Amino acid sequence: MTDHSARTLVRRQAAGTSRRAGALAATAAAALVLAACSGGGEGVDTGAGGGAGGGDGSGGTLVAAVSAQPDQLDPHVTSAYASFQVLENVYDTLVVPSPEDLVMEPSLATGWETSEDGLTWTFTLREGVTFHDGSDLDAADVVYSFNRIIDEELNPSFRFADVASVEEGDGGTVVITLTQPTPNLLALIGSYKGLAILPEGAAEDYDLTTEAVGTGPFALESSDASGTVLAAYPDYWDGAPTVDGVEFRYITEPAAALTALQTGEVQWTDNVPPQQVEALESDDAVELATVESVDYWYFSMNYDVPPFDDPAVRRAIATAVDREAVAEAATFGAGQANQTAIPQGSFYASDYAPYPSDTEAAIAILEEAGVQTPIQMGLMVTDELPASVTAAQVVAAQLEPIGVEVSIQTEDFATWLDRQSQGDFDAFLLSWLGNIDPFDFYQSQHITDGASNYQGYSNPEVDALLEEAAVETDEDARKALYDEASAIIVDDASYVYLYNPDVVQAWAPGLSGYTIRADRAINFEQVELP
Amino acid sequence: MLVGVSVLVFALVHLVPGDPVRLALGTRFSQESYDALRERSGLDQPLLVQYFTWAGRALTGDLGVSFRTGEPVTLLILERLPATLLLAGAAIVVALLIAVPLGTVSALRPRTLLDRAATVVSQAGISIPDFWMGIVFILLFAGTLGWLPTGGYVSPADDPAGFLQRLVMPAVVTGVVSGSVLTRFVRSSVLEARGADHVRTAEAKGLGTRVVLSWHVLRNALLPLVTVTGVQLAYLLSGVVVVEIVFSWPGLGQLALQAVQSRDYPVLQGAVLLFALTFLVVNLVVDLLYTRLDPRIRV
Repeated sequence: MTDHSARTLVRRQAAGTSRRAGALAATAAAALVLAACSGGGEGVDTGAGGGAGGGDGSGGTLVAAVSAQPDQLDPHVTSAYASFQVLENVYDTLVVPSPEDLVMEPSLATGWETSEDGLTWTFTLREGVTFHDGSDLDAADVVYSFNRIIDEELNPSFRFADVASVEEGDGGTVVITLTQPTPNLLALIGSYKGLAILPEGAAEDYDLTTEAVGTGPFALESSDASGTVLAAYPDYWDGAPTVDGVEFRYITEPAAALTALQTGEVQWTDNVPPQQVEALESDDAVELATVESVDYWYFSMNYDVPPFDDPAVRRAIATAVDREAVAEAATFGAGQANQTAIPQGSFYASDYAPYPSDTEAAIAILEEAGVQTPIQMGLMVTDELPASVTAAQVVAAQLEPIGVEVSIQTEDFATWLDRQSQGDFDAFLLSWLGNIDPFDFYQSQHITDGASNYQGYSNPEVDALLEEAAVETDEDARKALYDEASAIIVDDASYVYLYNPDVVQAWAPGLSGYTIRADRAINFEQVELP
Repeated sequence: MLVGVSVLVFALVHLVPGDPVRLALGTRFSQESYDALRERSGLDQPLLVQYFTWAGRALTGDLGVSFRTGEPVTLLILERLPATLLLAGAAIVVALLIAVPLGTVSALRPRTLLDRAATVVSQAGISIPDFWMGIVFILLFAGTLGWLPTGGYVSPADDPAGFLQRLVMPAVVTGVVSGSVLTRFVRSSVLEARGADHVRTAEAKGLGTRVVLSWHVLRNALLPLVTVTGVQLAYLLSGVVVVEIVFSWPGLGQLALQAVQSRDYPVLQGAVLLFALTFLVVNLVVDLLYTRLDPRIRV
């Protein structure tokens, strides 16, 4: 990520013109250029799909190993990452995050204009876009898609909380009217394929849970318990993909996925055993790629459970934690310690880091405040995310010397969520995934009575700053507000931030045209087989 | 019987903590979305109403719609049934191929080196975790040797050779585990049969060892094996979760596990009901087989 990126966004909004050509050039430049090198797949009959085809680097089917089957394919309903891995390649949104820096750029909308008061946004749609069923994209499709989400209260409907209406404007434009200025509107309507544009009436004409009718580079051919098959859409508005299709296979066991990649059964996987990342860096049979993600791991203590309501206790705990050690253990080195939420290097990152990872200092804080030790703390984690268990074990070891006795409570995720929403915990450790705008990082987690503020944090100063930042349209002013708010959040230890993990993916040597992304979206539009 | 099972299944599934609506919505959602999905899933109804709606429909073969996938439960189960049946069948064949010769031989030569070796092998088969054996198999046969694909499933109708290649490893791993259990069983029942009075009589009247073994010992010893094999088969038919996951085998075990994790009540109820039914049917078949094999039971 570059730190001028968010400013570019403002310029683009003002200009309201397409920067697609520039974006494409950037993609081509940044797409990882890999040494042409054959090898890998021999011996095994990989059956249908057959992968590593023509040696001329064109055509063929990319076989990708993902860790789970999509739960269903309705983009407005599902919340599963496994579904969006497929849907990313089938559907389009009005705007998309650029692969390199996640700044919103044109997709189905070629440009947009914002009214003086910031309450009306007018989007110009791309010409010559067709859906996989052959129909043309027009404003009515966009209006239908967004209103379907809003009217039926579907999964992404919270993103339209400040939207008063979505209507067709003059000359085939789409007009979104807001109830208050929403500087992050582009991120809200484009950061992932949950905001996909469907043809008007799609929910009646198709069974969207199993069928897909998008405008994306690939059309859905079939999806069942043994795999999902996509075929290149020849009339794609940005040019047909180079490969003939993509086959997703579900390989849950990371060792099996890696072996499948090494033997050439698959050419791409994101299911890499974390403990093998270091060893793979020197393995010629696979190309390993990592990039710092926009996810973060943290733990949080319950304000309703003494003594965790005591700021001194929270601060002492935040002081004692060695984030480097936690990141190293939980990610096997593929993660960066961070005392705030936003990864370093992004425009909104803050370098605020007040906690020294110092046991003596932590003990001093507790003594000064006259806090009774030992303190018993149940730390809730889930075995469905093994990294959370590892991180908790390290945290527990680090808190022990300051007199905090941590008992790790491992739950299955369903029970975990139940306890979290009922406030039945001393502390929990988890991660937030795929955040793009600082609003995603801080708002609902820390504002008083926020939807995700399970810890019960309330600080009027933070509330005021977050409210102000949410409607501030000047990027620099907005960053200053978030810096100020996040510093207070860190001081109060509403969340004890731990680290940003890397995205880790691996593919066959010689595979090109693919960009590993911080938001974990996987897009095979321009991929070319070795 | 099935009514009792259905009540039990329904109660158990709903008693487990966890909220399917929250799991379906992911981490970010509004209260309105939550309420809307809860209503669409019928979870806002009183439990008793939910039970009778479900049981009423189940009688007509309609097991409801999955919360997670939006697909009919019957369809989801039918989609995965062939994979489960084929794997369970193949695994039982492997298990019997291991258990009958190994168990018999070690019973005929008790406390010899052969017997000790067989005991060690079967003990190892029981003790080694199946996921570990599965991963070692993948690394060895798919990775190092490159003989077999790492996993996955293709329909035998589309690609019989590809199907068999993919079936070998999961069937062997599952079969070794079941076979180890059965080996010990075969050994002890052959030992027991060998000491029986009629065997001593047969030997005393000068019948050949071969005849005594096949007619008097094995036939009696294998009778109880039918029961144990039936139980093993029923168990395998409820899905071998770990092996299915390691080898990406799309069977019922994976489906049931996903349903548990997402608290997908309709799928979970459907799967457990099916498993209960499988046990009933397999037990019935075993009883019927008994009457064919054992003249004493015939009336």
